[in-house]
Amino acid sequence: MILRLAWRNIGRNKRRTALTLAAVVFAVVLVVHMIALTTGVHERMIEDNVRMHAGHLQLTGAGYLEDRTLERFVRWTPELAAAVDATPGVAAAAPRVNGFALLSNGSASQGVALLGVDPVREGGVSTWPERVVRGAFLGTGEREILLGERLAEALRVDLGDQVLAYTVAYTLENAYELFTVRGLIHAPEPRLERSLALITLRDAQALFAYEGRVSEVALLARDSSRLDETSRSLAAAVSAQSREPLDVNPWPVVMPELAQLLVIDNAQNYSMLGILVVVVAFGILNTILMSVLERQRELGVMLALGLAPREIFRLVYAESLLLCGLGLALGLGLALALPAAVFMEGHPIPIRGDVREMSEMFGFTPVISWQLTAWNPALATLLMTAIALLAALYPAAKAASARPVDALRSL
Amino acid sequence: MRRLAALGLATAFAAAAAAQDARLEPPPAQPSARALAEQVEATFRGEASFLDATMSVTSPRLPAPRRVRFQSWDDRGGKRSFIRILEPAKDRGTAFLKLHPNLWSWVPRVERTIRVPPSMMLQSWMGSDFTNDDLVRESSVLDDYDHRWLGVEPSHQGARAFVIEYRPREGAPVVWGRIVAWIDPVKLAPLRQEYYDEAGVKLRVMTLGGFRAVGDRQYPHHWSMLPLDKPGHETSIEVNAIRFDEKFDAEIFTHRNLTRRE
Amino acid sequence: MARALAEFARSLVRASTWRLALRGLGRQPRRSAIVLVAVAIGLGSLLVAMALQYGLVAQMAETAIRTEIGDLQAHAAGWKDTAPLEARLLEAESLAALSRARELAGFAPRLRGEALAQSPLASVGVRVLGVDPEREGSVSTLSSFLHEGAWLDAPRRLAIGAGLARRLRVAVGDKVVLAVQDVRGDLTGEAFRVAGIYRAPSRELDEAVAILRLDDAQRLFAVAGEISELAFAARERGALEAPRAEVARALGPGVRVETWRELEPMLDTMIALFDQIGWVMYAAIFVAMAFGIANVLLMSVLERAREIGVLLAIGMPPARMVAIVVTESVVLVALGVAAGFAFGFAVIFALRDGIDLSAFGDGLRAFGVPTRLTPVARSGDVWAPLAVAVVTALLASLWPALRAVRTRPAEALRKA
Repeated sequence: MILRLAWRNIGRNKRRTALTLAAVVFAVVLVVHMIALTTGVHERMIEDNVRMHAGHLQLTGAGYLEDRTLERFVRWTPELAAAVDATPGVAAAAPRVNGFALLSNGSASQGVALLGVDPVREGGVSTWPERVVRGAFLGTGEREILLGERLAEALRVDLGDQVLAYTVAYTLENAYELFTVRGLIHAPEPRLERSLALITLRDAQALFAYEGRVSEVALLARDSSRLDETSRSLAAAVSAQSREPLDVNPWPVVMPELAQLLVIDNAQNYSMLGILVVVVAFGILNTILMSVLERQRELGVMLALGLAPREIFRLVYAESLLLCGLGLALGLGLALALPAAVFMEGHPIPIRGDVREMSEMFGFTPVISWQLTAWNPALATLLMTAIALLAALYPAAKAASARPVDALRSL
Repeated sequence: MRRLAALGLATAFAAAAAAQDARLEPPPAQPSARALAEQVEATFRGEASFLDATMSVTSPRLPAPRRVRFQSWDDRGGKRSFIRILEPAKDRGTAFLKLHPNLWSWVPRVERTIRVPPSMMLQSWMGSDFTNDDLVRESSVLDDYDHRWLGVEPSHQGARAFVIEYRPREGAPVVWGRIVAWIDPVKLAPLRQEYYDEAGVKLRVMTLGGFRAVGDRQYPHHWSMLPLDKPGHETSIEVNAIRFDEKFDAEIFTHRNLTRRE
Repeated sequence: MARALAEFARSLVRASTWRLALRGLGRQPRRSAIVLVAVAIGLGSLLVAMALQYGLVAQMAETAIRTEIGDLQAHAAGWKDTAPLEARLLEAESLAALSRARELAGFAPRLRGEALAQSPLASVGVRVLGVDPEREGSVSTLSSFLHEGAWLDAPRRLAIGAGLARRLRVAVGDKVVLAVQDVRGDLTGEAFRVAGIYRAPSRELDEAVAILRLDDAQRLFAVAGEISELAFAARERGALEAPRAEVARALGPGVRVETWRELEPMLDTMIALFDQIGWVMYAAIFVAMAFGIANVLLMSVLERAREIGVLLAIGMPPARMVAIVVTESVVLVALGVAAGFAFGFAVIFALRDGIDLSAFGDGLRAFGVPTRLTPVARSGDVWAPLAVAVVTALLASLWPALRAVRTRPAEALRKA
């Protein structure tokens, strides 16, 4: 009975309903988009970093994170490669040798991180192949090297020139090799660009006397939200193929600084979301309260006609909940179907000006991106329901406490 | 080579003293511990020395010990030295020239000279338990330590040996807590050095043997360095020839010599 | 139309309009209270949100600046292209030149070099940072990261990060030898005792830096009386040009003075990026606030159609009527804005010690990351929410008022 009455009331005053409804719909759209924005920005940051460094998951010899030396290795056999590739959830895998070397040309010399990569597999995981600004990425050629632009400048070499790499091999011998500069890369950080050189995995294994071994296998996951699961299956798959104990670490362990940054940013974003919720809740509360106040006379008449205050409370509460429910449904529909949501996801807002240039320089994709996940509308629904339940409480109580005579007189 | 030995001293030695002291006889009144240390230093010292030696490095990483034969010309007074690798064949001709304060390395296979930066000078030399720094360190190590008698061991490898302790002075660039050295009472040459950390844990043992007369001194022709914290690692050196107080041709310490083909 | 506008404008400045508007507000105290609360909560929250956002950004900069960089640094010209030991300044001369600087809150001389840190069990390449323990505190908070032991309390002591201590396998009181190539090119070294172990917010500082007393570092590298860097704390973080000019003038030519933005472009970019993202975020709150205000105003004016109809029927000029309604709204919103500022700043003040973020991430403190988020109010931040509130109030009352007066009185009466 109450529900039917409430429904009729909602239908009767279209303008009031429209305003309240608009407030709710609007709130839902805002909340959904704000969460989508947070998720989008974070996913983008993770993606950029993951592709610049060790992948979503990093497979290494046990203890590599604590002791990044040639002592810790993975035997990259065809069997291991097959096991890695066949692991469910693994999208791509790139084996790498991480070593240090002195590069020199005449009297110019520079200590660098020498990265040995598989020219075919690397592009599946990282963006290094796209970072070549002059020349070309590594291929089938022998003894070719890619240098950071600033490194090439410091060594005073250009495409086609030779540089000498000098290092201590795994076998503790001094090792030397001449490499031809095949390309120049634009690294995300200036410091990295001064101290990074890429050679092929095969050449790196020869230089470091690291036959069949690699320092790490960087893996890209199909679904970055299920890293734990993928990590477990990977650990199980590789343990059967390896004589040495191996570690599988997800990116937050490999890059704790990024993980911390995101945690702090999340705390910040949830504070923002909390504030948004407060503003929205008051908006809705005010709207409902206003509509109750404007209906004093009508409610007074109902009380005078013998309706119990408890029933008035229920009526107003039901009205509010119906309105909020309706608004939530409309809002979610609008937020999800809104071309904006789809459009944003596919077409992130570009960042402009100096910040754009700088972001690019440091390897951030210069966009503010949106991303919708299943969790997002669920959270919005939860929040809006809580808001509706709470926001309708006071106006309903207010309405129920009105005395018939006062209500009539107040007009 | 003196440098390598000095290094051994310079960077380290010591004894599980308390336990050992019980087995040791009291020391003689003369010579003093300091005088003994000076004698040990004198065994290796020479203004201009030539060395031909073979170094073997044993490591779990290597299927078999790796042997490197080299010759070195060390002109201490002129603050310069020259080292050339003879074996293995793949490294033959590789040479190091130190002209204070720079160190150059010549790599014949790629026909290039590299100026070795300080950071690399401090790294392991040719994969051994010695560093480039050990090859080029100029200062005397005598003043880095206080010396003290521990006693006389009646039967160290079947013979009497003086046992003294080197304690690094505060601030001296020595990582060890102490070094214990066994010294031949007749030749006044070092036989064994044990390196301890400050907590008293023995970390390295260097043994010297194969004494032969070189001029008026007894020189150890066999050395071995055993790092106890790295199981399976050992570096040993066989001295093929050593000569002290040579008269060096200035031509040796030149870039031309560095890049010379034999 | 022009006449109506003139009438509207005239009405706005007439005392009777204001009197009527105020009386109108007083007659409906509850409705007025709702609008007021809507504005106050919306505006106050927005202020808090902006202060939190800026607080995060400011804290990122603050952490980096106060950890090591300082607001400004001075080096010998050309320092970026050479080894740290190559570009040096004279310590006594520089300090004397700066003694009368008025734009600075503090300055600290430093010496930088490279070394191989050795323990009996390991050796690690490190960056050496020689600091004057007394002066350093006026620029950086390095000593506050101390986790164990003491801070360079005596000569021949060093402080290292927990990461470096782990790599060298040493503890407080242990000996670490620093082997270096000094300024003459001699390979030399000295032993130092670990006085303290710190936990720093950056990995590099934690794993690859050894901090010594300045005089110890000068002796080690054989550069007595010389330094490689001067770091400065400005009186005001936002105004670095005056102190930069002052320092440049005091130290003379041949010295390059740079701000933290120039020294750490990556950090600068990160902050700019966060700032931009922040604006997008509170644009959402802006809109929510505007919507909340508009909604209650719309409702209150639309519900008054009958009253307005009565007034028009008894001869109130429509333009005057609109002026009264708009004045009512603006007065109400102005009161709300005042309440909002009071509310917002009260919250910011209440949160001045920061919000504890440690619940959001385990072990953040272990990495030396500040775990409190403190809101920071900027004077520039008050204008945008104020403008949004006032413009919203004008539009949200003007439109329904116009609509109400256009409706003929009889119709309005009937409808109500």
